[in-house]
Amino acid sequence: MAAPAYPGWVTRWVSGQWRNKKRPPTLRPPRTLALADKVANRREQLTEATCITEMSVMMACWKQNDFNDAPCAQEIRMFYDCVAKAEKERKNQNEDTLSSRGNLPSSKVNKLLKRFPQITRYV
Amino acid sequence: MAAPSAAGLCRRLRAWLPRIMPVRWSRYNPSYLEPEVKKESYQKPLEELTEEEREQMDLKAVRPIKAAPPTLSSSVFSDPMISKFTNMMMKSGNKVLARSLMSQTLEAIKRKQVEKYHKAPENEKETIECNPYVIFHQALKNCQPIIGLSNITRGGKTYQVPVPLTDNRKRFLAMKWLITECREKKHRRTMMPEKLSQELLLAFNNEGPIIKKKHVLHKMAEANRAYAHFRWW
Repeated sequence: MAAPAYPGWVTRWVSGQWRNKKRPPTLRPPRTLALADKVANRREQLTEATCITEMSVMMACWKQNDFNDAPCAQEIRMFYDCVAKAEKERKNQNEDTLSSRGNLPSSKVNKLLKRFPQITRYV
Repeated sequence: MAAPSAAGLCRRLRAWLPRIMPVRWSRYNPSYLEPEVKKESYQKPLEELTEEEREQMDLKAVRPIKAAPPTLSSSVFSDPMISKFTNMMMKSGNKVLARSLMSQTLEAIKRKQVEKYHKAPENEKETIECNPYVIFHQALKNCQPIIGLSNITRGGKTYQVPVPLTDNRKRFLAMKWLITECREKKHRRTMMPEKLSQELLLAFNNEGPIIKKKHVLHKMAEANRAYAHFRWW
């Protein structure tokens, strides 16, 4: 016989792979390898404080005039305008658009993902 | 014995029946509109109304309207700020007493100012303000703080951070300071209208302990202005 045909187990045994400690696959995923319907909770980056320049201008005016309100009326009005504008901007910003930094907070992402869940089984 | 057990029972019952116990918010359906109390808005002829006012009128024809609360009045003598002040002065629901104190205060202010008017020389007579409502509003406006302090915790330490205040908060603080000042710092036997009228007249002229309290708050805010960046709104 030119090429003796041994059974498969013989070839495997002879090749010594069992001696090389052939192991079953070490990665045994406990869950299905599919994307989950939520992201981890991330601490949102804090936005900066608004109207700091107007406030410091007003305080400088106060220091000069011994904290009287009458001479500082212009600065106080500017501070109030800035505060009203910032408040309006906060109210107007839509919840579903991106924040100023271009990130969606994790709670909103989870809400969206819940609306379109991953299909894990086909019926 | 009955009172503490009733309170505990009430709390337990409230936890068990979350929908049946009364809550502090409004129980009206969101479709209900606010009532319009001012007479002038109904006396305008139809042609003078703008587009949005016409739309508002059409909306009112189809939507239900909330019941007007008893404090809301269409009289020319009613003033929302005075009503708010009266409510803050009221103790244990005694609105009659609070309202009478308020009217006595306004009368006292008027009497003092008229006396000053008659005693003043001719050239100064125009500068003296006799209308107690004007004095009340101006005094409250002078007492309102412009910037407040709020506690913000960073790295385990609490800092007093200067923070802009809303209009409601300013009004509330001014009224609260006035009332506590009159209740606590004055002699026990002086009547409330007398104390209040004195404080209001001082505040109208930018003097007095409440204006000083406001200045102290402003000074603290100015001293802590380095922490202003801890705010995130």
